This record gives sequence, structure tokens and C-alpha cells, in this order.
Amino acid sequence: MRGPRKLEVWKMGFVNYLDALKLQEKLVYNRKLCRIPDTLLSLQHPPTYTIGKRRTDHNLLIPSSELKNIGAELHYTQRGGDITFHGPRQAILYPIISLREIGLGARNYVEKLELTMIELSSLYGVKACAGQKGETGVWVGERKIGAIGVRISHGITSHGLAFNIDPDLKYFKHIVPCGITDKEVTSLSRETSTMLPSEEVMHEQLISCFARLFGYNTVVWKENPSILSDLEEIE
Amino acid sequence: MALRMWASSTANALRISCASKPHLSLAFSFSRCFSTVLDGLKYSSSHEWVKHDGSVATIGITDHAQDHLGEVVFVELPEPGGSATQGKGFGAVESVKATSDVNSPISGEIVEVNSKLSEAPGLINSSSYEEGWMIKVKPSSPSELESLMGSKEYAKFCEEEDASH
Repeated sequence: MRGPRKLEVWKMGFVNYLDALKLQEKLVYNRKLCRIPDTLLSLQHPPTYTIGKRRTDHNLLIPSSELKNIGAELHYTQRGGDITFHGPRQAILYPIISLREIGLGARNYVEKLELTMIELSSLYGVKACAGQKGETGVWVGERKIGAIGVRISHGITSHGLAFNIDPDLKYFKHIVPCGITDKEVTSLSRETSTMLPSEEVMHEQLISCFARLFGYNTVVWKENPSILSDLEEIE
Repeated sequence: MALRMWASSTANALRISCASKPHLSLAFSFSRCFSTVLDGLKYSSSHEWVKHDGSVATIGITDHAQDHLGEVVFVELPEPGGSATQGKGFGAVESVKATSDVNSPISGEIVEVNSKLSEAPGLINSSSYEEGWMIKVKPSSPSELESLMGSKEYAKFCEEEDASH
């Protein structure tokens, strides 16, 4: 039975990685119990390297003791995917949605996340496409512009996508990004000749692409979202 | 804690037809959603199957599940000797940069895990009901099997879930 579908969007600005992780855990718990609707976090992180469930530490090319010197943190996560970097001017979306309610499996979900970034790129005349088999993500030619790493627990998603608007790409030199050795990382600002609007506008465009691709009828913007939300604690 | 079995990605996405295994005594039916659903197994709403054989039950994920996941590149399994609880996660699979929890359809002691999956995680795609089995459990509450779906019910469940997309 298909009713109208509602998405609640939290525009959060800069959020520390661990704080965002804790918030997602609470949201997943609450979503699983149907206490909240499908929720989308829109945010940026300070310079942070993250490693996925397979713990591909070998793809971090500098000693972890050096990270402080370059102003970055490192976190291990339960998401899929390899090592990646998050930082300022990279737009992140963490959808906390029920895949069972919309009848999507992991593969279709990830395809739609790829399409979200492909659509945003096309708004600026950039022809991006999904990766070849085994190289999930969004590419402009041989250069990676968007990354995906997802966790699905009891059919509820967490983590999500990271789209390079104009991050400092030098940070990517300290890793084998996504475990792929011979490909570059790029950003929208590098690939387009169009003037980019403010980041706030770009984040809203990314959210709109997401909402449209996932068929949400209603998008509600949460007022003053706080990490210290009054969500039910995990029992 | 979970035994992490790191596996390199394989390119093996070939589907092995169940009909090619003559020793397999289960009849099978094809659902209209074109995933294979086997008679004689029980199914959970999170797409795991259970084959109850005397004192041991074998558990894996269904053909429908593996199809919706994409190519599995990594499988995380628990240690033997641990315990499984109905409805709770016992491991995870990774495909298309997504880790998906796998839940146990029944409770009991985990007596064996499929170590082949560390080197060949793609068995879950190519042979989800046979070589791609994940754990074997000594059921602690046999009545739990009654709360699971039979093959016809599960086939309908898959259809309905796909139709909501």
C-alpha cells in the first residue's frame, strides 16, 4: 500500500564525525520502531578520514600519529566501502530511511544515491556517471567526484554519500581513496566552468535531487536541529 | 566477538541452478518475482532461510536477498560456540559499498560457520541455498520455526515488497 511519503530534513552545518555517528545510531533505533519518519541529515565534517567495516588500514598512507599534524581525525566505522576523506566544502547526506517501506534493496538504494550526485552535477553541466562494477561511486571520466558508504541494519540505512563541491583535494593524497590506486579524485569546482552558488544553495539542491529521486511527496525542514535531540535513547 | 573474515572481491556472479545438484531432495518453485524460493525451507521477513535437519538447522540468505544486494565482496560471521537469537543480527555482508546485517531466523547455539565464505563471498550470490550457507545452529526453541513463513507465503511476501517500490 503506497501512501504519501514524508522526508524530514535536518540541515546541520558542521558536525564532528563521532557526534554525527551517535546521532545516526539514535535515529536508526527510533526509525526502526517507527517513532520518526524517514530522516535526512545534511552536513559537513571537519577534516576526517574514515575506514569501513573491512578495516582497510593499509590504504591510509601516513602514520596515524601524523594525522594531528595535518589537522585530521581518523574513525573506524561499520559502513561498507573503503577508506575515504571528509572535509569542508564536501556535501554529505546521511539518509536514515526504511528500505523495506519503499521496497528497495541495497543495490537499488546505492544506485539512487549515485543518481542523486549525478543529477546535481548535471545542473552545472558536468557529465558524471556511476562507477563500473565494483567501483560504486560517481565519476567524471576517470576522476571520482562522489563517494558512497552505507550501513543497513534491519532495513534502516545510515551513513550515505559525500559529494565534492570544492574540498581541499590534497587531503586525498594521504590515502588510496576508496582502495582504488590508479584513479584521481576531483570536485565540482574543478569540473565546471559555471560559477557555483553558495554552499547553502548547493546543499539544498542536493537534498532536492535526493527527495525527487526517492519519491518523497513532502519534505519537512526540521527547525533548529540539535545533536542533543530529544529522541528516545537506545535501550 | 565476531570473527572477521576479510575476503578479496571475486568476479564470480554465475548462478548455479539448484537443478544441477542431484542429491538435493528439495523440490523447488519459482515465484513470480523471478527469485528462486525453495519448498521445504522456512523464511524470515528479513530474507533469511532456515533448513531444519534433525538437530541442526542451516541458515543463509535467500536468492531474493542476494539479488537485491548485488555482488557480495565480504562476509562477517560469528565464532562457533556463540549464540544466535531470533530476529537479532549474527553477521553482515558487504556489497556495493553497503554493509547489511544478517539476522538469525531462530535462536540457538552456533555450531558451525561456513569458512569458505572468507575466500569466496560470491557463493552467497551464486549458490544462496547451498554452498552459500552461512551458519549452522542447534535450535533452542523448535517452536520458533512455526513463526516463520513457508515457501508460498515467502514468495508472496517478496512480490508485495517489490511492488511497493
